[in-house]
Amino acid sequence: MRAAQAPVDLHAEQVRKFKLQDFLFHQVTLAFAFLVLAALVGILISLAMEALPVFRESGPAFLWTNVWNVPEDQYGALSAIYGTVVTSIIALVIAVPVSFGIALFLTETCPVWLRRPLGTAIELLAGVPSIIYGIWGLFVFAPLFAAHVQPHLQAALGDVPVIGGWFAGPPIGIGILTAGIVLSLMVIPFVASVMRDVFETVPPALKESAYGVGCTTWEVVIHVVLPYTRVGVIGGIMLGLGRALGETMAVTFVIGNANRIVGSLYAPGTSIASTLANEFGEADPGLHISALFALGLVLFIITFVVLAISRWLIRRSVAKQGR
Amino acid sequence: MVTEPLAQAAAAPAAAIKAEVRDLSFYYGDFKSLKGISLPIEEHKVTALIGPSGCGKSTLLRCFNRMHDLYPGNRYEGAINLFPDNVNILARDVDPIEVRMRIGMVFQKPNPFPKSIYDNVAYGLRVRGLRNKTELDDRVEKALKGAALWEEVKNRLDEVAFAMSGGQQQRLCIARALATEPELLLFDEPTSALDPIATGSIEELIQEIREQVSILIVTHNMQQAARVSDYTAYMYLGELIEFGKTDNIFVKPQRKETEDYITGRFG
Amino acid sequence: MQSARFLSKLTAAASATLAGIVFSFSVSASDITGAGATFPAAVYAKWAEAYRQATGKKVNYQAIGSSGGVKQIRAKTVDFGGTDAPLGEADLDAAKLVQVPTVMGGVTLVFNLPGVASGALKLDGPTSADIFRGAIQKWNDPAIARLNPGLKLPDRAITIAHRADGSGTTFVFTHYLAKQSAAFMREVGAGNSVNWPANGIGGKGNAGVATNVQKIAGAIGYVDIADAMLNRMNFVALKNKAGNFIVPSQDAVEAAAAGANFKVKGMAPDLLDQTHKNAWPITSATYILAYEAGANPDRQKGVVEFFTWSLRNGQKMAEDLGFVPLPESVVKMVEAEMKTIR
Repeated sequence: MRAAQAPVDLHAEQVRKFKLQDFLFHQVTLAFAFLVLAALVGILISLAMEALPVFRESGPAFLWTNVWNVPEDQYGALSAIYGTVVTSIIALVIAVPVSFGIALFLTETCPVWLRRPLGTAIELLAGVPSIIYGIWGLFVFAPLFAAHVQPHLQAALGDVPVIGGWFAGPPIGIGILTAGIVLSLMVIPFVASVMRDVFETVPPALKESAYGVGCTTWEVVIHVVLPYTRVGVIGGIMLGLGRALGETMAVTFVIGNANRIVGSLYAPGTSIASTLANEFGEADPGLHISALFALGLVLFIITFVVLAISRWLIRRSVAKQGR
Repeated sequence: MVTEPLAQAAAAPAAAIKAEVRDLSFYYGDFKSLKGISLPIEEHKVTALIGPSGCGKSTLLRCFNRMHDLYPGNRYEGAINLFPDNVNILARDVDPIEVRMRIGMVFQKPNPFPKSIYDNVAYGLRVRGLRNKTELDDRVEKALKGAALWEEVKNRLDEVAFAMSGGQQQRLCIARALATEPELLLFDEPTSALDPIATGSIEELIQEIREQVSILIVTHNMQQAARVSDYTAYMYLGELIEFGKTDNIFVKPQRKETEDYITGRFG
Repeated sequence: MQSARFLSKLTAAASATLAGIVFSFSVSASDITGAGATFPAAVYAKWAEAYRQATGKKVNYQAIGSSGGVKQIRAKTVDFGGTDAPLGEADLDAAKLVQVPTVMGGVTLVFNLPGVASGALKLDGPTSADIFRGAIQKWNDPAIARLNPGLKLPDRAITIAHRADGSGTTFVFTHYLAKQSAAFMREVGAGNSVNWPANGIGGKGNAGVATNVQKIAGAIGYVDIADAMLNRMNFVALKNKAGNFIVPSQDAVEAAAAGANFKVKGMAPDLLDQTHKNAWPITSATYILAYEAGANPDRQKGVVEFFTWSLRNGQKMAEDLGFVPLPESVVKMVEAEMKTIR
């Protein structure tokens, strides 16, 4: 009798144990997930609270005031926002076509033996710490750029209406343009490897069908590969943009750190992240600290908006494609 | 083994030859997957390639539009000559794009481009530089009629092709191939992803378009081969075992291997 | 993802401020902790190491910046605070703090002008102020030419290399220039971070400024004397109050201290533009802050013992690091002042 009952009990106990394990596992993972959410909300709230004094002082005008005068305790975010946005735009203008070319070469036309070493090299480039790019930018790139590129650019484009002004001023090698170029180098590996990965997801049959009607590689890419991978490509570009917006060390090294807006891309400027990195350590208590927190909040919001826009773009293009 | 089918072909009624495979071997890297194939493709006839999986029938089909060129490490030996100009389309100095303009292909799975129905059909024409709107409209309509799709889609040409049923998508792909008026049309198991009704309509379509174009079709379905084709080639392990009129192959095959396969004792 | 990255920067900055608090929990009760200015951190670390070897007692100093040092000592989280910007009498009285100098240093102008050697370029205070407020934009400006009759000055744009981070070096330098020119005070201001003109580029740390000056032809900047010597930079000979052009050196800094009156509350006389004939005009000292009466007498005593020992035994170490030791007379006054710490 007892011998017959024993296995049944054992089984029930086992079930109970598993149930408990599952329950605990569920709760623990839930707690982890909420931790992230709590951290996000916590950061947002503390940023907003610390930023409150400067918003109370200057109101929303903080966002579009072009002044950053620590001795006078007057703060506006415009010059930092300008530098952040302009360097990121320059970075993308350079990085997107180059990354596109790299990804295409790797997936469509690269000989097999070269594919792996090239792909690995690009991934390695993505792993280089940003301070290395900063040091390289300051010590190697900026002097070469100042001596061999900037004067020629100025000579060639300086008199062209509208864009001529972008290349005005002494060619010192450090400034918004240099920061944008260094950023583009940092962004390229990310964008290129994402693009390569999504290009590889295109079903061969789809490409073959385009080749089958007599397309060139370029036509296949433009009409088949790109439309098919639109979502992933946008995602990759946004990833790059995110990195460009928030990049701190490399930009701090080469942007020139001047809290003002000059029309020329040769002129030094500042970005939100580099202003924070520079001034936080010795910031005066009071409005200065508050203004820095407010800058942080602005960057947080810009990043959030970029993310939201990319999500929206992706959703829209998915809906349009009926997939 | 090679001479026999050729002899048979020669015995066939004197019809125009659209293409001729001459002692074709094909290598994936070091692996020889086609071994000295020789085969005629008759004009305005349907030629079916049958055989068990891995026999090389799809590989042979894909030689016709140089699809193997897209992947590195592939190599052709021998020739496929296209008539009437008797040009070897496998020759190095022949541009694969040129070949693909003359020889269309319909794939196993319907694979419309991520575009509208109209743009899918017009695509090949635009690639060829046709820009004139009225002419494009005419050719698209003609191709869709040719693929028996016009009545179903004429009011929704701007819709995305993915919104169609599987059978419709495959007929769209046929229309896309027909639009450029190819000389030879390749079908790579065109109904394997379709239900029986859609399969029936595609088979019917193949019979009809034979009037406009010569057809080479790969199928794993012997009934299909029997239903749609005029000639049948049986392949096994990269070799051509038997080739002849479909009626002959299915009724009294010359070779034991062919008989085993079509009677279901093998494969 | 990038917001997380950026936030980690923020957290890094915030945790630097927190470091003092956390730190006081992580050390044993008898250890002395201090936090504050980054400028003297190297010499405090050197002294602490030598002091530990000599006495077995531990001193920890966290370089979190002058304003952080003041904040931490006010919050009573450290035993002493370090600051480059001395507190005024009212602040000291209100917080019941004692302030004494520990070492001195100077800020020097450095430049990069092809063909002009170190010490060959002469400037005076008002001209320097005009350069650094952007009023003088070219090297061949008449104001510069007048001070350098024999020198061939190029028609080259001046680039101002300044600190991008808030810094005691900027604090000292801008206060000096503000004394020379009301226009400078009005347009640029004086403090840890100021409102530099458009032809300025910011570098991070003394090393960043030094690099910018060395990389950009036509640049002029300011760094502390120790860093300038370390990087073998081109010095400007600066005119002092007595009318002599002085090239910075430890002797010139000591000469400035010799003429100053340290007998004031907080022991922070204005060391800028001293009248001694060899005085380097841009001289400053760095200070520590301690409680007049702390909660823990052992630690209060520990702070006094550490700095007494260091001022007696650490002068050579300070010199080796490029700092300038306090004159003997001042050391005696510091010792007397520290007696009020209980």
